[in-house]
Amino acid sequence: MIFGDFGTSYCKLWEPEAGPPRVVATKDLPPGVRVDWATGHNGKRLGARCVNELIALARGGERLIAEPSYLLLDCGSRDIKFIRYQDGGVADMGWNAECGASMGFTIELLARYYDLDYRRIAVPGKTFSVTCGVLGMSHIFDAVIGGVPVAEAVARFVKGIALNAYRFAGSPARIYLSGGLSDNPLFVGSFPCEVVPLGRFVLLEGLAAAAGRTGGAGELTAGGAA
Amino acid sequence: MAATGFHLRATPDWRLPPPLRRVGIVGIPPLAVIRDLNDRGVEIHDLDALLVAADLEESVAHLPRVYCAILRTAVLNALRLELDAIYIDVGPGKCDGAFQVAAVLAETLPIPVVRTVNDDTRPFGVPLCKSRLPLLEKFQRITEGVKMADPGPPLSSCVPTAGFWGVPPRDFSILSLFPDTTHVYGWTRCMENKTPADAGLEAFCNPEVPTVFFAQSFCAKTALARLLAGRHPRALCLDVDVHTGSSARAKVEAFLELTGGRR
Repeated sequence: MIFGDFGTSYCKLWEPEAGPPRVVATKDLPPGVRVDWATGHNGKRLGARCVNELIALARGGERLIAEPSYLLLDCGSRDIKFIRYQDGGVADMGWNAECGASMGFTIELLARYYDLDYRRIAVPGKTFSVTCGVLGMSHIFDAVIGGVPVAEAVARFVKGIALNAYRFAGSPARIYLSGGLSDNPLFVGSFPCEVVPLGRFVLLEGLAAAAGRTGGAGELTAGGAA
Repeated sequence: MAATGFHLRATPDWRLPPPLRRVGIVGIPPLAVIRDLNDRGVEIHDLDALLVAADLEESVAHLPRVYCAILRTAVLNALRLELDAIYIDVGPGKCDGAFQVAAVLAETLPIPVVRTVNDDTRPFGVPLCKSRLPLLEKFQRITEGVKMADPGPPLSSCVPTAGFWGVPPRDFSILSLFPDTTHVYGWTRCMENKTPADAGLEAFCNPEVPTVFFAQSFCAKTALARLLAGRHPRALCLDVDVHTGSSARAKVEAFLELTGGRR
């Protein structure tokens, strides 16, 4: 059985019998790829069965987080979404595909353009007010024109995105963070709350749960989160 | 600038002389108006609904783009349909937006634009809201019902597994995501009851079933939707503008699946 999380920038493919999941840039995805269970923007096209992303996120969270009440936030390339559990039940959820547009994509784009390593950039004291990746970039250009070093300007942008995601999620005391950005220390460190990174395979866990596959929490995310 | 009557809350005499063949309504004019139109055999068009295949951008000449999509649709319908008059409810059973739109229509169109204030209190009942019909069909029948002065046929009610609170959305496609056992609350329930200004009925919801609290984007009712959703133990607050986007659909699907509302 093959599971696929088909994101805008990256696809995560997992065949449990063959080993750990692999990450493929969406633009490099070989033609003809088909999976048994899919989620993500291209899930309907490439999967025999497709699971709504929010449901995959929720099911993945249920497998990975052994708490009755928590906030799980997924920051993707193109959108942000969250699900909040209270006393074991779903209490709230959100999916921002419009105003949260292209945030993750823009962060990666900036690193490539300016040749930056986010592991080497400190969390800045200041931030930009960023509600959209594309619109937020003008803040960077204005700051650089005003003499702010490029790395500092980009860091303020990244912090602004983190703050926007934090507020979108309802400003919780602790966030379980899903998605590729949970590997970005600058982004994670920019949240004004405790962050528990879960990695980029939470939705694959959710697909496995939807398919009825046993395997226990943390099959993909080392040790689970709880 | 000359006085244009924009200040009038309600048109003093809503009865229009013949000939009157085709009229448009915005909101829910009082039952007396609808009955009079029915008795005279006048064709009624509900301008809040999608009636013409035209680009909503045409309304931008008369209303801001960031405005209630239902009222923008009403203006578009009014511009495109050949009507003899328009009855627009501007009372507490509709909204302040309609009051402003009444002025726009009166300024734009060469036909009478009659402002009404519907404060009807006689309840007609809400059998459709509690029935076991597809939610889309419930809404179609409820919105069709505003053109009739008589109550619809009786229907047996079902035990609800989900709730939809709010106004009829401009884009009905979102309704197909709900199970047939969805009960309808909010202003749509007031519509079927023919008491659109009944704020108590509008605020009623069922805490026992997962409920989507819906409002059109840029509508004042988004505040009530958020307030009620905040009190409700299993709620999803949702606003949609012109079309139901994929993220809105996904939220509703996930909400119903994860709260057991799909049963």
